[in-house]
Amino acid sequence: MTPIRKTMLAALLLAAAPVYAQQAAGDPKEAHKKIAMCEGCHGIPGYRTAYPDVYPVPKLGGQSAVYLANALNAYKAGQRKHPSMRGIAASLSDKDIADLAAYYAEGHK
Amino acid sequence: MRTLLIAMAALALCGNASAGGNAANGKAISEKVCAACHGLDGAKPVAPENPILAGQYNDYIVKALSDYKSGKRSNPVMKAFAEQLKKKDIEDLAAWFSAQQSNLHFQR
Repeated sequence: MTPIRKTMLAALLLAAAPVYAQQAAGDPKEAHKKIAMCEGCHGIPGYRTAYPDVYPVPKLGGQSAVYLANALNAYKAGQRKHPSMRGIAASLSDKDIADLAAYYAEGHK
Repeated sequence: MRTLLIAMAALALCGNASAGGNAANGKAISEKVCAACHGLDGAKPVAPENPILAGQYNDYIVKALSDYKSGKRSNPVMKAFAEQLKKKDIEDLAAWFSAQQSNLHFQR
């Protein structure tokens, strides 16, 4: 098997595994009170974070809510390591995360 | 006229200041490696766990793939794929995906 094929197989097997993440339905309207802490970076077009590496913070509008909630939960748990995101995510409740994910996924242009 | 000016300004702003990635090469790699999960042009992933890539910032995609490759960002599936990519492959993929259209957009 080529490495690519092996990886594809691994990906398929993992994809078939049950997903345990509980995704409470978020309320985008509730998020309006909470986005202040996001806007400082994600609310500036093309904003580049400077520490620890320099790169543009990602676009969030229209992104999948499940992906966004998983990202915030991973930062909160310390599995994803950006220092600012870690600090901010640690301050969020499950409900905050669901609301913010719903807000950005809804994506008003 | 005003709309045209705004459109031009917007295009100038989001111009993909790619680090020299070759989008055509990126497309070819993406069809073999990425499309099965993220969709053909990264716009319609097959599962909500997989992010939309089409229209994401070029350098952010480079950063994400580089971190998966190095293990700085851990995801078993993405690590396995990213490990097979050379630096140039990553730049090519970023050039391709960042130039595609999707629902993904800058959101205040």
